[in-house]
Amino acid sequence: MTTDTDQAVGPAEPEEYVTVKVWDLPVRGIHWIIFGCVFVLSVTGFYIGNPAWATRGDTGFLMGNVLAIHRATAWIFIVMVIARIAWAFRGNEWSRWHHFIPVHKKRRGLARHTVEYYLFVRHDPPPVIGHNPIAGLTYTVLYLVFIAQIFTGLALMSLEEPGSWQDSVAGWVFNFWSIPGVRFFHHIVMWLVIGFVIHHVYSAVLMDHEEKSGVMSSIFGSHKRVPPGHK
Amino acid sequence: MGATDLAEGTLLDRLDRYGISRRRFLTYCSGLAATLALPPRYAKVIAQALETQQKPALIWLEFQDCAGNTESFLRARNPAVADIVLDLVSVDYHETIMAAAGHQAEASKEATIAAGGHLVVVEGSIPTKDGGVYCTIAGKTARQHLEEAAEGAAAVIAVGSCSSYGGIPAASPNPTGARSAESLVSGVPVINLPGCPANADNITATLAHFLTFGALPATDGEGRPLFAYGKRIHDNCERRAHFDAGQFVEEWGDDAHRKGWCLYRMGCKGPSTFHNCGSQRWNEGTNWPIGIGHGCVGCSEPGFWDTMTPFYDRLPRAAGFGVQTTADRIGVGVAVGTAALFGAHGVGKYVQRRRAAAGEAKATVAAAEADAGQELDSELEEN
Ligand code: HEM
Ligand code: HEM
Ligand code: SF4
Ligand code: SF4
Repeated sequence: MTTDTDQAVGPAEPEEYVTVKVWDLPVRGIHWIIFGCVFVLSVTGFYIGNPAWATRGDTGFLMGNVLAIHRATAWIFIVMVIARIAWAFRGNEWSRWHHFIPVHKKRRGLARHTVEYYLFVRHDPPPVIGHNPIAGLTYTVLYLVFIAQIFTGLALMSLEEPGSWQDSVAGWVFNFWSIPGVRFFHHIVMWLVIGFVIHHVYSAVLMDHEEKSGVMSSIFGSHKRVPPGHK
Repeated sequence: MGATDLAEGTLLDRLDRYGISRRRFLTYCSGLAATLALPPRYAKVIAQALETQQKPALIWLEFQDCAGNTESFLRARNPAVADIVLDLVSVDYHETIMAAAGHQAEASKEATIAAGGHLVVVEGSIPTKDGGVYCTIAGKTARQHLEEAAEGAAAVIAVGSCSSYGGIPAASPNPTGARSAESLVSGVPVINLPGCPANADNITATLAHFLTFGALPATDGEGRPLFAYGKRIHDNCERRAHFDAGQFVEEWGDDAHRKGWCLYRMGCKGPSTFHNCGSQRWNEGTNWPIGIGHGCVGCSEPGFWDTMTPFYDRLPRAAGFGVQTTADRIGVGVAVGTAALFGAHGVGKYVQRRRAAAGEAKATVAAAEADAGQELDSELEEN
């Protein structure tokens, strides 16, 4: 407990924290809709990949319905991913793109701080109001994975109708990968996203506990309590 | 080729000599129009074209192949009438079926090439490694033969997956550097009729299209004619209703298998394969793989063998760590690994805090140590 940052903000007690409205409605809304979509897409995707249930007897139109739900949900998902990217250029300070990609020197210094914090080198969490730079980068990677998932999903959809708009948008995927290869990728990304969620919920709980900033409730109710001096 | 007299005269004369009525010939032309996905009125156009066409010469080259496409072609549906179509092209060179041999055969081939405007059918892939030594005929490499034959040709027709995309000889590690015809021919239109083997109906229909319209049929991005490869097996499958209903075969010979349910879980590659087997069928339209209860293995797709194996698994496997692993095993590994890693991190953070608290206490008064510990505990409880 001997670093500069500690000196600057360390002594602040939770009672002195200031309340900041961090996540505006679009950020929270998009977050939870994406969460819902990923949940539905994973459950239906898991069935499409391993249709092990109810293979006997009268199953109605099971696979047909599951595929239809997967596709319908995919549209919502795509719109939400586009909306969040757009909001990175329109939203408040903490939802902007430079909180996701640490282009500024200050953010890169904070990134170092964060890594040291995660690697047990220091125990004071980075003094940020929004995402710390490492979290921001993680979300950037996550969005890139989402985009890859969207393109492979559209490409798989286009197989049903060569020449469709999905084919024009995503057909190029098959120049790099065979059809089963694209399916394999689309399948394994589901697990990568599940891995992300485990890490993500853990980090949120950890930060909530360590920073006492109310990060957990912030994603529901927008406000965070942070020590004075945080950016 | 032997019966020269039978091949002379107009097509109608020849049909007559073969004892084939005009009615049967027209029926056959309707079949061709249907295969080509043309409206029924084209049956007449095709018939007219076939009747008046000059016989274009055809050279059939066999390289790294199993002669399966030749076998398939010789067993074309409605063989007597198909013979006529065969007869419409003059097969000047075909190692498996020609009567001539040795220098005589090569000389006749060279004469055809010199005349130009011929069709070249390629069966088998072309080895390019080590100067192409893995397939040489009459002292020349396969590649030289192909390049010479394609010179001045009207079109090159690659039959079978090997000449279309490299096929089994090109499967990893591709020891002979096997390549497709398309990748080695320039300046001549090339069409691919992949399949293992290519379906005879699709070969004759392609020839008929060429004879009727003077051009090769429209193709997809992989150079395959749309009339035969425009739809997926899965979208034209008689078991599709069972797929949509979620009714799947789980084991060979189980109840579901006997009932003819969908073979998706048994590794059927119908969802990854463009071909018209479901409607055109095989062996004179008798049946087809999925019809008899075996999944499609994706024989007509680029990268067939490597990208479609294992045949009895839905998804490819990832190589690495010395073993091949399924997508789900890797995935569960990722999820459990993440959970374990961050679980350990959490424990680490807890220990770090405790030790920091303890250290601070030591630095001030030893007696305060117990308090510090308690403070931390209560802090943790609060959260
Ligand atoms: C499919 C599941 C989830 C995905 C894909 C996801 C994705 C994200 C993304 C991309 C962000 C950045 C927010 C932005 O600026 O757009 C975020 C933030 C956040 N999420 Fe999630 N999330 C998921 C589930 C959850 C769950 C289940 C919780 C809590 C129980 C949670 C809690 C949070 C919190 C607290 C933040 C703010 C974190 C910070 O300030 O760094 N998320 N999430
Ligand atoms: C986080 C998002 C998503 C997840 C976790 C997910 C998961 C999955 C999984 C596991 C499968 C089964 C793959 C297999 O084993 O064959 C699948 C299939 C499919 N997904 Fe997704 N998916 C997501 C997003 C999308 C999107 C955005 C689209 C479309 C735009 C899409 C379209 C499809 C289609 C069409 C299939 C059926 C593929 C086929 O077998 O023909 N998915 N999805
Ligand atoms: S048997 Fe194969 S091609 Fe037919 S519906 Fe099932 S998965 Fe599709
Ligand atoms: S069903 Fe599939 S594997 Fe069998 S011939 Fe047709 S495309 Fe090839």
